Amino acid sequence: MTTTDTGARRRSGDVRPVITDLIDAATVEAIAAEAWVALVGEDEVLVPLPGELPVDIVSSWVDVVGPWTGSVVLTTARSTAEELSRALLRDTAPAVLDDEDVADAFGEIANVVGGNVKAALPGPSALSLPQVGNAPLVRNPADVCRLDLLWRGEPVAISVQGALPPLPGTTPTRKNEVS
Amino acid sequence: MRALVIDDSRAMRRIVTGILTGFGYEVRDAEHGRAALDVLDEGWLPDLATIDWNMPVMDGLQFVSAVRANPAWRSMTMMMVTSESEHTQIVRALAAGAHEYVIKPFTADAIRDKLALLGLLPQEVSL
Repeated sequence: MTTTDTGARRRSGDVRPVITDLIDAATVEAIAAEAWVALVGEDEVLVPLPGELPVDIVSSWVDVVGPWTGSVVLTTARSTAEELSRALLRDTAPAVLDDEDVADAFGEIANVVGGNVKAALPGPSALSLPQVGNAPLVRNPADVCRLDLLWRGEPVAISVQGALPPLPGTTPTRKNEVS
Repeated sequence: MRALVIDDSRAMRRIVTGILTGFGYEVRDAEHGRAALDVLDEGWLPDLATIDWNMPVMDGLQFVSAVRANPAWRSMTMMMVTSESEHTQIVRALAAGAHEYVIKPFTADAIRDKLALLGLLPQEVSL
């Protein structure tokens, strides 16, 4: 007796969660708000209002590898990243912050936000060291939880985005709008 | 009292150093576990080590295990200070020999409370 492979069994086994199945924007916002208060300053708030990111932006991110694999990405203007770094370092900030200082401090904020996002996801998962530069591309627009916020009136985007392309027959890939 | 701050982030080393210096600690720092072991090998033995988890070269868990393997360093209290906040990770660190665990983000008050629990807060620092 012959059988026909319709692909149904393979497709059902290929189902994988997208980030919005696992965490909601309110949880990511709460994690970011707590990180901001502790790292940036007690009176520092993130306002959930969209702002237009300028051309000259920088991103910091950590990768999460586990049942869900992707990145937790912070993106803001370079000038805002420098201001954030100075706020984080407070009175320990050197008179002149060099690029390495900014990358280090902005990366540490991504590390703290990303580590706590990872803890809210099904595990076990591994967390990468933070990276700073041009944000990784969004591989699957359906696998993104993005927040647009303002800090001191300046836009800050937080994107929890999957690293894997959509499965065949689902949403097509497009480039990351914030990179 | 002496503290060794181990974190690959220069910013975080500055922040933790600032907190501990404020509590009266003499502080040295290291950017990963291997560099921290070099400090211990010099004979500079701290009362407290604050240890990040994810670092290049040698991570925090490997550092804790290395310290536990050397009886000469048993007197040092090891406090993980990390963004690894999953329960399983906390259990792993404590099982490896860490004494306390602080999750980033933290406040100076949180560090002070942990030090008080460990009996490592100088008496002149009020709770």
